Amino acid sequence: MTSEAARPRHRAGAGQASGRAGGRGQTHGPKRPAGASRGAVPRWSSLSAVGRFGFLAVGITAALLPFLWMLRTALGPPQNALRLSANPIPSSVGFGAFENAWQAGDLGPALLTGIGVSLAVLALQLLTGIPAAYAFAWVPFRGRGPLFAVVLATLLVPPQVTAVPNYVTISALGFADTRVGLVLPFMTQAAAIFLLRQYMTTIPVSVLEAARMDGLGTLRTLRTVVVPLSMPAIATVSVFSFLLSFNEYLWPLLVARSPDIATPPLALAGLATRTSAFPDFTQLAAGSLIISLPTLVVFVVAQRRLTAGITGTGLAT
Amino acid sequence: MAQGTRAGRDGWRAAALLTPAFVGLCVFVIGPALVSAFVAGTDKNLTGPDFHWVGTANLREALADPDLGQAVRNTLVYCLLTVIPSVLFGLLLALAAERVTRGRAAVRFALFLPASANIVAMAVVFEYIFDSSPEGLANTLVGFVGIDPVNWLGDRATALPVVALVGGWRLTSFVFVVYLAGLTAIPRSVYEAADVDGVRGLARLRHVTLPLLAPTTVFLGVFVTVLTLQTFETVAVLTEGGPLDSSTTIIYYIYKVGFTGSFRIGYASMIALLLLVAVVLVGAAGALLGRRVRVARQLDGVGEPGARGAVAEGGRS
Repeated sequence: MTSEAARPRHRAGAGQASGRAGGRGQTHGPKRPAGASRGAVPRWSSLSAVGRFGFLAVGITAALLPFLWMLRTALGPPQNALRLSANPIPSSVGFGAFENAWQAGDLGPALLTGIGVSLAVLALQLLTGIPAAYAFAWVPFRGRGPLFAVVLATLLVPPQVTAVPNYVTISALGFADTRVGLVLPFMTQAAAIFLLRQYMTTIPVSVLEAARMDGLGTLRTLRTVVVPLSMPAIATVSVFSFLLSFNEYLWPLLVARSPDIATPPLALAGLATRTSAFPDFTQLAAGSLIISLPTLVVFVVAQRRLTAGITGTGLAT
Repeated sequence: MAQGTRAGRDGWRAAALLTPAFVGLCVFVIGPALVSAFVAGTDKNLTGPDFHWVGTANLREALADPDLGQAVRNTLVYCLLTVIPSVLFGLLLALAAERVTRGRAAVRFALFLPASANIVAMAVVFEYIFDSSPEGLANTLVGFVGIDPVNWLGDRATALPVVALVGGWRLTSFVFVVYLAGLTAIPRSVYEAADVDGVRGLARLRHVTLPLLAPTTVFLGVFVTVLTLQTFETVAVLTEGGPLDSSTTIIYYIYKVGFTGSFRIGYASMIALLLLVAVVLVGAAGALLGRRVRVARQLDGVGEPGARGAVAEGGRS
């Protein structure tokens, strides 16, 4: 792990070296256009460029197709739903299905529950994860390695294994069928501790030593030094945590018995079963789109930070 | 002596920092896992409070259970159909998307979509796409190449591959996100150095990019395998394990045995325990491989230090 700690400085060194070589390189003429920094990377031949764009186009189509299909179904009239029929573009367009799904599925309250539960889970995971990650990264104590291994091992336990004992625990605590019951079991996430720890090991020792010289206690060091420096990793963990809790299906299925605390996937599943006698596919597609929106927004807003965060955690290169 | 007190202080500091996280992990993951391991030796049934210790009866039953054998085979097929293609396509998409200069954000947005999608919502949509009617989207598409309509989710031969396709669709996007982050982490200088040495195109991909991505690949391979071994939602929403158990995965079988029908939670726990052992073996293999990859990189000098050397040589010649 020390190699990871040393990496940022290392990278800076490589950058300097390249600046020099880049300048000389042109004098003995590698076959490439001089200039733009991206131009330093040789362009692929035009043939492979065609292949590359073709491949990208196929990938993007495959990624978008189900969403476009959803949109088409939701916007079109019911008799157009499901079937491609003669015209792939719906004969008439309307937003009625969104309104129907919103009301029939109680999607408004479900979205609020989903967002609230996900944010509460995230807050707890950061509150428990950041101190633990700091301890694993920077506090030398006996048994650190084995304890960290125990944390990582919890990643391997399938959620279905813990579901029943957790249900018993939550019921015993009186939280069955409550929002607290939806949140508590996810209060600590080993993956979050791992990612945060990997990132924290890249903080230079001197920064932490300076904090200690200034007489900062552990908690103040955490708050004023470690957390601000770890923001990319915290952002990454936040996005993944939000996605996972918002989309969680099995646990709410067991715990949320009453419809007024249904999470979005439950509300959607309810919509599907309630309409199964005479399925209204336009309504289901509209519902699917509505409950997909929050995570899409989070992902798009956070995408740049996400890449930076993964990069610093030592998972990449 | 002074060191002893310092170590002692660190011990208390670590304990204070780790306690919140370990409360969460012990109460909701480690404890329940141990309880499950105990329950696996009993005939516990969810419908009644009574249970008896049955020793290895559940284990013997599991080893001889033809339905479990079928679920194991299905899971292996599912893994084979998802892990390698998703890692390969995710890598190729990341390589292609990284070079895009115009419309970069739009390309990434499209390819990020599947990873952030709600799996229940997507399963609902895929159910329509793979509708058995000749007018369903998938059947219309295969109709173009002269294939008769297929009952995708209702046929024993196609149900599992279709479920795997949906799972792989989502995984590919996740793999893409991680590889893209890995690619952005490779310093420009390494490519410049390779260029000076005349290493371009496919040779550069083979000798520079792929070796630098090796740790990411190992991580993804293990993580994606562990994820697919725990496949639940796609099966639950798309096929409910059918037809005739042809798409029942191990986790879905556990759910079926423990949470539906006979509610045999004791037997379900035993199967879960066996799965846990398998997952831990995969994880351990991955950890070993990851270590070897790191060591190999250092020995070969394919990494930043080696590339820096190449830059220096290029400058000298």
